[in-house]
Amino acid sequence: MTDDNTNTDDIETDGGTGIVAPDDETPTWRERKERTEGLSRLTYEYFERARSEDESLRRESDYVERDVLAFPTWPHETVRNLALTSFFVGMIIFLSATLPPHIGDPANPNSTPAIILPDWYLYWSFGLLKLGPLNPELAILGGQKLMADRTYGVLANGVIVGAITVVPFINKGSARRPVEQPFWAAVGMFGVTLAFTLSMLSVKNLMPMNVDLLFDLTFLAPPIVAAITYAVLKTMREGYMYDLNRRYYRLRPPK
Amino acid sequence: MSLEKKDEYDHKNWLESKDLTPVEATFLTALIWVDKRLRIVDYLELLESLYYRSNLQMPKSHTEQYDLDNKFWYWYALYTLGFFSTLAYVVAAISGALLGFYYVPAVGSAGPGEASIAYSQIAFIMRDLQFGFMLRSIHRWSAQVMTAAVFLHMLRVYFTGAYKEPRELNWLLGIVLISLTMVFGYSGYLLPWDQLAFWAGQIGVEMSLSIPLIGEWVAQLLFGGFSLSQATLQRMYILHVFLLPFVVTTLIAIHIGIVWVQGIAEPH
Repeated sequence: MTDDNTNTDDIETDGGTGIVAPDDETPTWRERKERTEGLSRLTYEYFERARSEDESLRRESDYVERDVLAFPTWPHETVRNLALTSFFVGMIIFLSATLPPHIGDPANPNSTPAIILPDWYLYWSFGLLKLGPLNPELAILGGQKLMADRTYGVLANGVIVGAITVVPFINKGSARRPVEQPFWAAVGMFGVTLAFTLSMLSVKNLMPMNVDLLFDLTFLAPPIVAAITYAVLKTMREGYMYDLNRRYYRLRPPK
Repeated sequence: MSLEKKDEYDHKNWLESKDLTPVEATFLTALIWVDKRLRIVDYLELLESLYYRSNLQMPKSHTEQYDLDNKFWYWYALYTLGFFSTLAYVVAAISGALLGFYYVPAVGSAGPGEASIAYSQIAFIMRDLQFGFMLRSIHRWSAQVMTAAVFLHMLRVYFTGAYKEPRELNWLLGIVLISLTMVFGYSGYLLPWDQLAFWAGQIGVEMSLSIPLIGEWVAQLLFGGFSLSQATLQRMYILHVFLLPFVVTTLIAIHIGIVWVQGIAEPH
């Protein structure tokens, strides 16, 4: 709402970085009127009249202009976004043209296929259904299981989603880079690896591998990967944080 | 001087004093008439300001402004995954709407010994329909790409700590969205009613039956019974083409709106 900031000397700013916006501020109705002809000029003339009472109010307002400087939305940002969009859509179309989908035999309730699989992104969940060996047999129940293996697998989904949900409520603070928090990066790698190994477990019939070994690896690999991540980041951390902190202190010297 | 109350902004008088052509006079009269009732000047000004503002400049990003890390652009590609999944969602929506013109969610077969109508409609789309094979291919691949992009997007958000303090709600919303994406995928997977669809549906029914306490209720709600039937396909269809599109589109809008309001969390 810069209506009469034609005098650039007394533009109020938020005392920012001293970077001043280029001289193309939002023009006033009067300026717009003077730039145009015909009916649009008439429109502006009318609006100028109709608005003159608001103008004085606005002139008295204490709106603070903010200093900004970066790429213009048009054409820079828009062209870049359009380019990205066409690239991505092109990628999808290329994939669909080169790898068209297959359709299997029609549904037949009387013959169970040898391999039943969901789409790849549900493999991890499918793998959780095969955790029967981990379902504890309780001595008080006389070696009975507390719940069916199926129920156990379905509930495991809830545990995983729950674990993901609580992350932002546990890990707070301003650290962003994995090196700043090796522990949480390790937790993340644990999760990624677990999702991957569970997916492998879900297709165990197709894996050229001993099933028991695969089952063990499903739960051994994630902690190993997490430990490696932690060790590597912890080692990197000292030098890296030194550099990062030095830059920070140069920017905002400690008081 | 008349005794009539005179408006300070006596537009009529102003009009008469202006010596306008008939076109101009008609236009202005109409404009004033509408503006007096709807105050379009406000909206026009808003639009015009937006137009001029769009030529103003966006703030420099944190990293650019403080020259924090000249290697930061390595990670820019990962910051477009959210946009990419939205885009794949749009592509899937368009191709899905076109597929919807031809698909029929019916388990029964047209004649004895034939496949179900749902299956034969898919076969029709793939074999006989002009561009149908490509259409189904595009729909399927955009769905796959969306899911993959959503997963990677989540990893990016995790490993750059973008889920932290002011952004917990968007993280929760993201979890809901990724789950709904998978439900989208699952319900779409069942629609062709081929062998894989049928038996994946079977597993779905069994999984919902295994949920303690509410299992049977969930199975009846989602699958329309304890075994697969017309009701199952019908429900998956409505879920896939009606319910989920509304819900997911709304949630995506809120998700992006929150990102807009809070800004993108950059590493620093």
